[in-house]
Amino acid sequence: MADFLEFVNVSKSFGSLKVLDNVSITVQRGEIFSLLGPSGCGKTTLLRICAGFEQPDSGKVLLNGKEITPLPPHRRQVNTVFQSYALFPHLTVWENIAFGLRIAKKPKAEIQDKVEKYLDMIQMTDHAQKKPSQLSGGQKQRVAIARALINAPQVLLLDEPLAALDLKLRQRMLVELDEIHDKVGITFLFVTHDQNEAMSISDHIAILNAGRLEQMGKPAEIYEAPRTSFVAAFIGDTNFFDGVVIETKETEYSRLHIDGFVDVLVYNDKPKKVGDFVHLSVRPEKISIAHDEPAKTEKNHRNLIRGKVEDVIYLGANTKYWVRVGEYKIAISKQHKRFLLDEKPILWGDTVWLFWEADDSYMLDRYRAEDEQLLSLPSSVD
Amino acid sequence: MRSKIPFYTTICVLIFFYLPLLVLAVNSFNESMYGGSWKGFTWKWYIQLFHNQEIWNALQKSLLIGIAATLMAMILGTMAAFALHRYSSKLQFFHYTLIYTPMVVPEILMGMSLLLFFVALGIDLSLVTIFIAHVTFCIGYVALVVLGQLQEFDFSILEAAMDLGADWWTAIRKVLLPLLAPGIIAGGLLAFTLSIDDFVVTFFVAGPGATTLPLRIYSMMRKGAPTVINALSVILLIITFIIVFFSQRLRQSKP
Amino acid sequence: MKLSARKKLNEWLITLPSLTWLAIFFLIPTIGIFVIAFKPANIDGSVGSGWTWHTIFSMSDPNYPAIIWRTIWLTCVGTAICLLLAIPMGYYIARVSPRWRNYLLMLVIVPFWTNFLIRIFAWKVLLHPEGIVKQILLALNLVEPNTILLYNSGAVLLVIVYSYLPFAILPIFAAAEKFDFSLFEAALDLGANRFQAFIKVFLPNIKVGLISATLMVFIPALGSYIIPEIVGGPDGEMIGNKIAQRVFVDRNLPHASALSAILTFVIMIPMLVVLTAQKREETIPQKKVGGRP
Ligand SMILES: Nc1ncnc2c1ncn2[C@@H]1O[C@H](COP(=O)(O)OP(=O)(O)OP(=O)(O)O)[C@@H](O)[C@H]1O
Ligand SMILES: [Mg+2]
Repeated sequence: MADFLEFVNVSKSFGSLKVLDNVSITVQRGEIFSLLGPSGCGKTTLLRICAGFEQPDSGKVLLNGKEITPLPPHRRQVNTVFQSYALFPHLTVWENIAFGLRIAKKPKAEIQDKVEKYLDMIQMTDHAQKKPSQLSGGQKQRVAIARALINAPQVLLLDEPLAALDLKLRQRMLVELDEIHDKVGITFLFVTHDQNEAMSISDHIAILNAGRLEQMGKPAEIYEAPRTSFVAAFIGDTNFFDGVVIETKETEYSRLHIDGFVDVLVYNDKPKKVGDFVHLSVRPEKISIAHDEPAKTEKNHRNLIRGKVEDVIYLGANTKYWVRVGEYKIAISKQHKRFLLDEKPILWGDTVWLFWEADDSYMLDRYRAEDEQLLSLPSSVD
Repeated sequence: MRSKIPFYTTICVLIFFYLPLLVLAVNSFNESMYGGSWKGFTWKWYIQLFHNQEIWNALQKSLLIGIAATLMAMILGTMAAFALHRYSSKLQFFHYTLIYTPMVVPEILMGMSLLLFFVALGIDLSLVTIFIAHVTFCIGYVALVVLGQLQEFDFSILEAAMDLGADWWTAIRKVLLPLLAPGIIAGGLLAFTLSIDDFVVTFFVAGPGATTLPLRIYSMMRKGAPTVINALSVILLIITFIIVFFSQRLRQSKP
Repeated sequence: MKLSARKKLNEWLITLPSLTWLAIFFLIPTIGIFVIAFKPANIDGSVGSGWTWHTIFSMSDPNYPAIIWRTIWLTCVGTAICLLLAIPMGYYIARVSPRWRNYLLMLVIVPFWTNFLIRIFAWKVLLHPEGIVKQILLALNLVEPNTILLYNSGAVLLVIVYSYLPFAILPIFAAAEKFDFSLFEAALDLGANRFQAFIKVFLPNIKVGLISATLMVFIPALGSYIIPEIVGGPDGEMIGNKIAQRVFVDRNLPHASALSAILTFVIMIPMLVVLTAQKREETIPQKKVGGRP
């Protein structure tokens, strides 16, 4: 697949505030690509640069290999679904959807046909003559999508299209959005700050933080192999460790010395030698927790540690534990299979065994201490 | 990216608004009579103005009518606003129409109809007829300004006051009126400037000797003493600026 | 039952003062205009007894249609110019930062609070043969030395625009301030250029402001009396001048009443147009929603 939409070294400042810092992103034809990041990180700004509402200070945007940066918005084959929908209040649903075709002076019959087709696709045929003020949130949303799609853009930009909807509706609309994407086959550039939305719908994700691209890749890559502490902490939850390599085993594994913790065995996803510094991320669900010491396995690449439970939060589908080991408070997430039947519940104050495979940890390229604030903590932090 | 037309229009319109006033102000210090050219600085038009007894008499009458009409309009307008806010019946629809229409009817029609009314009833034109006319066109302005403030007023405060033992009259006097005072005063200021300013209606209903300031200005304009009017205009302009400034302050200090 | 009777009484008590005042001093006099128009005039200037059609027929005096026509076209052109200036200006004021917005609004309001006569007088001074406008135009070679700027329809039109423009700017600004400017971007995004976005999205959405701006200029402009009186001369007379002449010069009140009645009808036309248009608009969507009272 060819690169289809490219942002090349895009930078943008508002006054002294640097909102985008040398961002390069490539989107492939026909995929759903998500821009994910915390509020204020510059997602909307990047989208507006793509739509032509803002000019980058430097860098360029290529569509199909051609630079579109100097084109005004109405000359780009890009359409937007706005965060607040921006439906025209003085026009009916039908007229809203027909707006782009009418501006393009398409023949009446063609407009009629297409509008009806799209009304049917979004299941709004019965509401065609209503004004936007008479629609529910989900209906407005669908009209906004149809209004943008009917112009057959090369790329559809969606700026947090689901943010204004309640949770249940959001999940339903997400499925609908995916179905619409399958039907029309247009490239979607989707902005969200909800990681679940991004993970479930996207082919690729770019994570932005404070105007910088942190990582770009498939959802599973980003979750399983986060490159920075920000990505690891922002997507899901994790445990961070700082250590020094004290021994390398069979070149594939290293033993780390971690201050205030026990030594652990890690898989070398990057080449390491003795004396190297390592920032490690271990996801809570990779760590097992038990009252009894687990049976030994064949390859002994497992880390086995004892600790004391300091917090327990029952969440239904799983339970979160925070276990004190040395100076560290380790987060663990456990799913229950037979919770009420024969599991002996792990309670506050219990001494437990923790264990995880060396292959389940991941070494970070970049670590910043402030990213730890993104981690979930028990309410009773001491 | 943005069009410059709105910006340039705004600048041109503002110049259009202020150029005449500026020329007037400059000419009030100009020796030359018609201000085609600058013939030197002088205070003499101001001095002439201060020695013009007719103007002072006219101003006195204008102030008298302005204050009386404003007070009356404030009372009637505030009550009207209460009625309009509190009730929504056919009567209030009629009431609202009656309050609203005098504000949109051209002044000449109002002056004409009041003149006919006074003539038909054989009432002699005097300061009193001017007072009546001014109250009539001021009520609506006071009522709408107070109504605007009532719509923002939280009536549960009134209930709270009654809950704390105040009877309704005390509640209105001690709670409602003080909170609404800025609105009533702003409405009153508006009414006062309208009254002081009015020429057309006054012209129709003024009797002999009941010469208000605008009537005096008009007759001076006809007789052609433009320079004294220039000086007077500058003084009135300054007063207007001060009033606008204070009423703006009042509006911003809404509770 | 007793409670609602009490409530009714309270309503009447608080409504009565303003209602009575306006009924006596506004409603009855206004109706009076239509009554007096059918009364004969006495030579001594009083209103005679009995009824007559004579005054109404005298409206066909060949002088009048020309003046009524001039009144209407001056008003229409004046209103159009006011709208043309007020739309971009209202748009601009709505788009600047709140601080600037307040200053600009003040600047628009202050001249409209200034004495009406003085504002007109200022133009008389400006347009005077020795006034500054004439001097400038002469210097630019735009007029002949003996062109008279004052005392014609053009001068009346200019001062009408000057006097009533703030009444157009304020409602248009109020509507533009409520306009959601992201709609503008949506239109651009859907392929409209800026001009199309302005016409197809901005204007329809500030319709309420446009209508009230039109009425706020049109109605007082129709009734203009003092503006043509001061800067108009015989060539710039409007209905208002005729009414005043009948009252103050000939003392023929029935005649003045008949003219006022005509003026009232002319004013009713745009108001009725707006009212019926609004009625129609209100009823259509309600039918489509269905069920809603
Ligand atoms: N027109 C502007 N002028 C000045 N600053 C701006 C402007 N637009 C955006 N910003 C600033 O740029 C930063 C990035 O804004 P942006 O809207 O791109 O964030 P975002 O990632 O979309 O956030 P959110 O998730 O809250 O929508 C913010 O700090 C914002 O305050
Ligand atoms: Mg955003």
